[in-house]
Amino acid sequence: MVKSNVVTVRGLRKAYGTRVVVDDLDLDVHAGEILGLTGANGAGKTTTVECIQGLRRPDSGTLSVLGFDPVTQAARMRPLLGSQLQDSALPDRLRVTEAVELFARQHARDGGELLDRFGLAARRKSAFSSLSGGERQRLFLVLALLNQPRLVILDELTQGLDPAARRNVWDAIRQLHADGTTVLLVTHEMVEAEALCDRIVVLRDGRVLDSGTPAELVARHANVAMVHFTWPDPPSALLAEMRVLDGVRDVKRSAGRITVEGSRATIAHVGAVLVRYGPVPADLDVQVPSLDDAMLTLLNGTPAKAGTVPVTDEQLIGGRR
Amino acid sequence: MNAMGRLIKAEMKLMVRDPLVLTFVFAFPIVTMLIIGGAFGTTPTPAFENTNPSHWYVASYLTVTIAAGGLVMLPVHLASYRERGVLRRFTAAGFPRWSFAIAQLIVGLVTVTVACALLLAVAAPVYGIPALHGAWRVVAALVLGAVAFVSIGVLLGTLLPSARSAQAVGLLIFFPSFLLGAGGPPPHVMGHMVKTIAGPLPLTQLTDAVRDPWLGIGQATGSLLVVAALAVAATAVAARRAAL
Repeated sequence: MVKSNVVTVRGLRKAYGTRVVVDDLDLDVHAGEILGLTGANGAGKTTTVECIQGLRRPDSGTLSVLGFDPVTQAARMRPLLGSQLQDSALPDRLRVTEAVELFARQHARDGGELLDRFGLAARRKSAFSSLSGGERQRLFLVLALLNQPRLVILDELTQGLDPAARRNVWDAIRQLHADGTTVLLVTHEMVEAEALCDRIVVLRDGRVLDSGTPAELVARHANVAMVHFTWPDPPSALLAEMRVLDGVRDVKRSAGRITVEGSRATIAHVGAVLVRYGPVPADLDVQVPSLDDAMLTLLNGTPAKAGTVPVTDEQLIGGRR
Repeated sequence: MNAMGRLIKAEMKLMVRDPLVLTFVFAFPIVTMLIIGGAFGTTPTPAFENTNPSHWYVASYLTVTIAAGGLVMLPVHLASYRERGVLRRFTAAGFPRWSFAIAQLIVGLVTVTVACALLLAVAAPVYGIPALHGAWRVVAALVLGAVAFVSIGVLLGTLLPSARSAQAVGLLIFFPSFLLGAGGPPPHVMGHMVKTIAGPLPLTQLTDAVRDPWLGIGQATGSLLVVAALAVAATAVAARRAAL
């Protein structure tokens, strides 16, 4: 099924002086999805979303956002966007309710309800300068959602939020997703990306390194599960059996400590063998590969070259490979 | 309410809460006018073109409020917005391109008008308000001068990189202009060199265009034309620079 695009970027290039920040980037954001844009610092994430928002003029390339060109049709496009920008503020002496009144267009949602939902009801009369970092982030989110946008762009959304507030914001994003709103999320937090994103695009040096669902990225770049346990004098048959289990790559033994490395399926097979051979070791420990591991591998590895990353139809997005 | 109306409403509230506005635009001209207006008495002297020195300063100090608004208040306000990403937020939120520039112009003009009214209200019971000899020229000069200085302020705010630099540059321009062109000694007691420097300053031109027809000293048509030209040029450049 062909998915309609809310954002289509082709060949985007942006340089600051001689430093190329975004280099020949392609990106598609499908209608109704949450797309995560991630990568190391200076990878070009913020510049990319700023070009999408029409806040920066690309050096070359074409962009279409909700059918509009952000360079020439920004005035018609921006009312349809909800933006939470990195490194921006409101006037110090502007109060919370005044900020909501200032940003609310004619058919805006009930600002009071949004303030309640994001735990800012008690801070309605407070000046922006008196808000904590987390409260500011939540206010920016309220402002981003206020005008029922069709596309929400969130840059470092949960920076500075405590765990409870972060969960609260994640729930709001999931609700947006359920309501059919498209979300473009710039994040460094892999837990956040894994929890929220349908797809993730990884950037490095202004180019797309890889893209896919969180599970696909983990499978491609961090598919090593490890099982550890202590068995001081294991029967030789046990070790021999483990070495030939499905998906096992290596079995190591050191001072009674045994480590089995392999695919995710290895975990189940090793567990079954342990149950058969006797009491399960009390210190049995399992390390499952995470998106964080995948990112570390991906960002610390060699740059993806043309054709080196397996591409499915679903992944035909992002930079030119 | 449309975007422009919402922006003007919010900016008005913020102006009233800004200590820099309260001290520099409202309090400073009034306090200095009260001090210097009483320093030379009320007897007309040649140094003051044979007018009452107190009235000379009452007529002059309206332009001090205009200069304080344009050269100190607005540059700091705008540079602070740019420095902290407030303008980017307005842009991203879809405020119309010209809305911020127009809002600043309107808020600046309203602030200056209120400050002028306050100054006259304080001057009236102390020194009296001098009779207006050329009312329309005075009003035209005040309006054009306010537009010119508000636009210069907006322009400085878009050019200077931070609130601190805007404050430094704004004060550096304001105080010499204030001393040489409005609130300091009258031109007749200035030395040749100082008078030469003071003459072409925008605030001197504006003060001449207001004070001369007000006190019946002269028409000051040349100064009025200079202020008008400055208003047109500064507004055109400032509007372009302050567009979102």
